[in-house]
Amino acid sequence: MSFKAILRRAAAASVLMLAMAGVSPAQELNALVWCDHSDPNLLKPFEEANGVKVNVKEFEGTGAGLAIVEQSQPGDWDVMVIDSIDVRRGVERGLFEPLAEDQLPVADLFPEVTMDAFTKADGKRYGITEKFGYNTIGFNKAKADPADMQTLASLTGDKYKGRIAIYDYYLPVIGMAAMAIGKKTAELTEADLPAIKETLLKMKANAKAVTDVVASQTALATGEADVLVGGGEWVTAGIAKENPDLDFSIPKEGAVLWSQSLAMFKDSKNKDLAFKFIQYVMSPEGQARLATSACYWGMPANTKAALNEEQKAILRFAEQPEFLKRAQGYPAPDEALDKKMQDMWTEVLQAQ
Amino acid sequence: MTGLPKNSTGWFCVTPALLFTLLFFVLPFLGMAVLSLFPKGGEGFGFENYAQFFGNPSYWRALVNSLEVTAIVTAVSILLAYPFAWILANVVPERWQRLALMLAVLPFWTSYVVRSYSWLLVLAENGVINQMLMGSGMLSAPVQLANSRAATVIGFVHFFVMLLTLTIYANLKQLPPNYRKAAADLGAGPVSAFIHIILPLTLPGIMVGAFLTFVLAIGDYITPQILGGNNELLLPQLIMMQIGRRGDFSSASALSVILMAVVTIAYLASARWLKIERT
Amino acid sequence: MMARIVSAVYAALIYGFIFLPVAVLVLFSFQGTLFPIPPFNGPSLRWYGAVLSDQRLTDGLVNSLLVAFITSALATIMGFLSAWALARFWLPASAMIRGIITLPLTVSYLIIGMGLLVMFNLAGLPRSLFAAGIGHIVINLPLCFAIIYSQMGAHQANIERAARDLGAGELRVLTLVTAPMLWPALFASFFLAFTFSWDEFIISFLLTRFDTTLPVEIWNMLRAGLNPKTNAAGSLVFGVSIVLAIVFEIVAFRKRVA
Repeated sequence: MSFKAILRRAAAASVLMLAMAGVSPAQELNALVWCDHSDPNLLKPFEEANGVKVNVKEFEGTGAGLAIVEQSQPGDWDVMVIDSIDVRRGVERGLFEPLAEDQLPVADLFPEVTMDAFTKADGKRYGITEKFGYNTIGFNKAKADPADMQTLASLTGDKYKGRIAIYDYYLPVIGMAAMAIGKKTAELTEADLPAIKETLLKMKANAKAVTDVVASQTALATGEADVLVGGGEWVTAGIAKENPDLDFSIPKEGAVLWSQSLAMFKDSKNKDLAFKFIQYVMSPEGQARLATSACYWGMPANTKAALNEEQKAILRFAEQPEFLKRAQGYPAPDEALDKKMQDMWTEVLQAQ
Repeated sequence: MTGLPKNSTGWFCVTPALLFTLLFFVLPFLGMAVLSLFPKGGEGFGFENYAQFFGNPSYWRALVNSLEVTAIVTAVSILLAYPFAWILANVVPERWQRLALMLAVLPFWTSYVVRSYSWLLVLAENGVINQMLMGSGMLSAPVQLANSRAATVIGFVHFFVMLLTLTIYANLKQLPPNYRKAAADLGAGPVSAFIHIILPLTLPGIMVGAFLTFVLAIGDYITPQILGGNNELLLPQLIMMQIGRRGDFSSASALSVILMAVVTIAYLASARWLKIERT
Repeated sequence: MMARIVSAVYAALIYGFIFLPVAVLVLFSFQGTLFPIPPFNGPSLRWYGAVLSDQRLTDGLVNSLLVAFITSALATIMGFLSAWALARFWLPASAMIRGIITLPLTVSYLIIGMGLLVMFNLAGLPRSLFAAGIGHIVINLPLCFAIIYSQMGAHQANIERAARDLGAGELRVLTLVTAPMLWPALFASFFLAFTFSWDEFIISFLLTRFDTTLPVEIWNMLRAGLNPKTNAAGSLVFGVSIVLAIVFEIVAFRKRVA
């Protein structure tokens, strides 16, 4: 950064300090995203091609994302990344704008992940799936027996006691616990929670740590843990080059399918730009960059994503049809059940 | 202090600071207290957030955990820092003391977020400590240091040893050296002189440092979040969870009010050591 | 003699403990591969290149310096004015005023940040660097006040009185007599406030949106992938801080000599 640029920023900052209000030039796109969208490799080409700036704010979990929107002024946000199953929650609140389906590569997507039941309403498309993957078992081949990793029962047994880390996000791990006791993630009710909690407590008793995205990677990479509950390509793929022993399995009980969508805000002041951004992310180039983002890797929703053979091998692109058959969606609780699940998660974290 | 001038200049000068504190500290706190009484998703006014805290073991457990960790951190830090401050003040030659202090403070010029992360790497199974111990044959298998309460405590103690060393050192330097001599002349042995004379005189330095340690440690989010491995939750982590996961500002406010109450009790307990005096 | 050896060993252990994470941090910032853990494969400047070409980090660095500079200056000025007023003028309930101004000193940063977040939300104000700046003044104002107030002695009051007797107005007394006499305290409070603002995380984390400070950007980076880039960023912060500390030493030392 040149001295002049610093001076300019200094001037801008002092104006900001005095004026109390943020200045927002016309050509900025405000995106509420997950951390994979913050990668300059993804954003730079779009910014340069269109001469705009993309501002990103990261959040975790639909509840927190919707809370941020609620506390903002209408028009503050242009696009949002959201769990595909939660697109409807935004639609019900009147937040999203329908997308022009004919100008998006819907036909090129893996059919299992378009999730029209959740991303469409009244025949209109409000969200388009951009990336997906699995919350399943991530592990270190050199230290954990791949045969054991074909069943969720290994996670609650004694063999891997003290060798396990659990991904700190309640929905997918609750989904895995549900599958471990033979329940369907889509049909969970409050009555299922006690049995799920029991399974979770067994996993917790085996676990060394309950870790966020990067701590999960760190745990596997540094040998803190050999098995990651809730892990998958999103944690192992990005570091597979450095440590080829890191892998993931889809156990016989199945795995939780995560799927993220892009949606556009009804109150956006830059709808054309917002739609262009969505088109860019869904294009083969955008899809490849998103799939291999620095924060985490994942399967591109678009089958035509411009990935090279090595990247496809790491993501196990060819095996997807088989994986998708065995996968179940995220649990999709209503707000009351969601609070109960979160409280249960807090209890599990606090359990000694 | 007789007859201080009584005119508008004083008011004029004190107003900016006073107004600023009222507007951006007292008012926000009151706002938070009020908000905590209007639970998210509830019907208006109610004490549900507080009922939830005291009724749900996984919530109040966070406060107990916080108090335990903070107490351990404070005690360990004092025990480690006191001899160190003593050595700096009495053994190290006068002209090197400043340099010795500077050296002790130096590592804390790194970013505090990065420091915690660095401890994680130091303590990991493949980390420096385990590798060194195993390399030297002292260990046959790595021990779990990272992702535990012990790691959180180590991360905290690292910072507070430095802080307490500074407050205790400052206090030791204020003691006239002939106190000890006088005690010795009166027949007190070194241990007795320390317990009956030096220790009581350095209590203010210990208390100031202990209070700072308590306040800063009990409200800290980064250290337990990075080092604790979520094997237990401390109160700040629970507060951040309310915001980050649920967007529940009302519940987060209630927990903050509880944290504030705990800190206030600590303040009142140590208030007589913490007077701000003019020279 | 024995006591000296025990002392030396103890001091060496404490220094070792204090320096351990920083030494490891700096060492592995020169790591050639992706993981900042043993074995060491280096030295390589790869990650420094990555940090310096990351615009979010360089922006965060500039933002941090600006916020630290502006908020410490404002906190020092307000702290100075209020300390002077309370030390030199008769004010009703002055003990209470002093209590209110120093109150934030006894509160966790998390509470201050939460309070401001809740208030700005209720008032409909967006999160911004400006909001975080306000938070930084809240934490630093009582500190500046306490430092400067503690240095206001009686002999300075006499000199001020003499200046007034010679016909100087209040403003001239303040700027030409009091401030220069208190220069070391003013500088110390500015410097301390700068340090606290520079490394503050939770308030900035809660109150900023897109433009944010370096500690928050480092936190984001930490969450965005494990690699020695974090080490490199931390080492650079270390370097910048040491330069600042040396500048402080030189300025303060020169003043003492003069």
